[in-house]
Amino acid sequence: MKKLEDKIIKKIYRIETEKTIGRIIGEVALISFIILSSVFIFSIIVEILNEQASFDLFDFLRDDFEVIKNNLFNNSLLFIQELPQLLTYILIGLLLLLIWLLYILLKNFSKIKNKLVSLYKFWFK
Amino acid sequence: MAGLHDKEIIKKIKNGEIDFYSYIVKKYTTQIYQYIKAKLFKKEEVDDLVQNVFISFYKAIEKFNEEKPIKPYLFQIVKNELKMYFRSYKKNIPLDEKIVFEDKYEELKIKDIKFLNSQEKVIFEYINEGYSYEEVAKFVKKPLNTVKSIVRRGRLKIKKNL
Repeated sequence: MKKLEDKIIKKIYRIETEKTIGRIIGEVALISFIILSSVFIFSIIVEILNEQASFDLFDFLRDDFEVIKNNLFNNSLLFIQELPQLLTYILIGLLLLLIWLLYILLKNFSKIKNKLVSLYKFWFK
Repeated sequence: MAGLHDKEIIKKIKNGEIDFYSYIVKKYTTQIYQYIKAKLFKKEEVDDLVQNVFISFYKAIEKFNEEKPIKPYLFQIVKNELKMYFRSYKKNIPLDEKIVFEDKYEELKIKDIKFLNSQEKVIFEYINEGYSYEEVAKFVKKPLNTVKSIVRRGRLKIKKNL
């Protein structure tokens, strides 16, 4: 019976190892992909805004407080209007997805950590 | 570990401390093994089924309500595994015409079997020649399910009488 029990436990650990490693690799790959895509899209947006000279809209920030106060809202609105819409929406979507994934990762962090500790103890000790 | 209640063990496993699963395995393996052994005869198959039961339970542990007792749940899995086993076992050992007619009763011809009626004989002849049930159904101009029923009945007769 002991032999059978050991066999079952070993199989469970094998399944769990595959599952956990697969999950970690999957999540890391997904998060990396989202971060890289976001950086890429962000750089394109910045380039477009540079070409349009949209950043000039914030030149008034070097002026007095009164000027800033009077122009901040209008110029910000104008700047938002000049943003490439589709790319901005994609970027916002990616960032929301990233936040959600990080939230799930943090929520399950202790569980994943415990699993890794158990797996390490089983396979390496 | 021995002082822990099943409920706490399940909570710990759900929290990722999977080493606690060995407690469940050690606690219930003997009972499950004895139960399955009473139903099956081959030791290797008993071992496999016991393994499957614990693996299925492990996979379902996230959804398992720790407030409920483990044992009934485990035995429900055992019953399902046994059902699946017997179903697959049936599939593996049909009373195959080829085995009956080519091995043990090589000299026996279908037309010589008295307990089969003429319709069954015709259908078995076709099947022996390698036609599928659908093709046989077309030849004898009967619905597919009727042909299947006739074959099943005929096999039972052969099994009973030979």
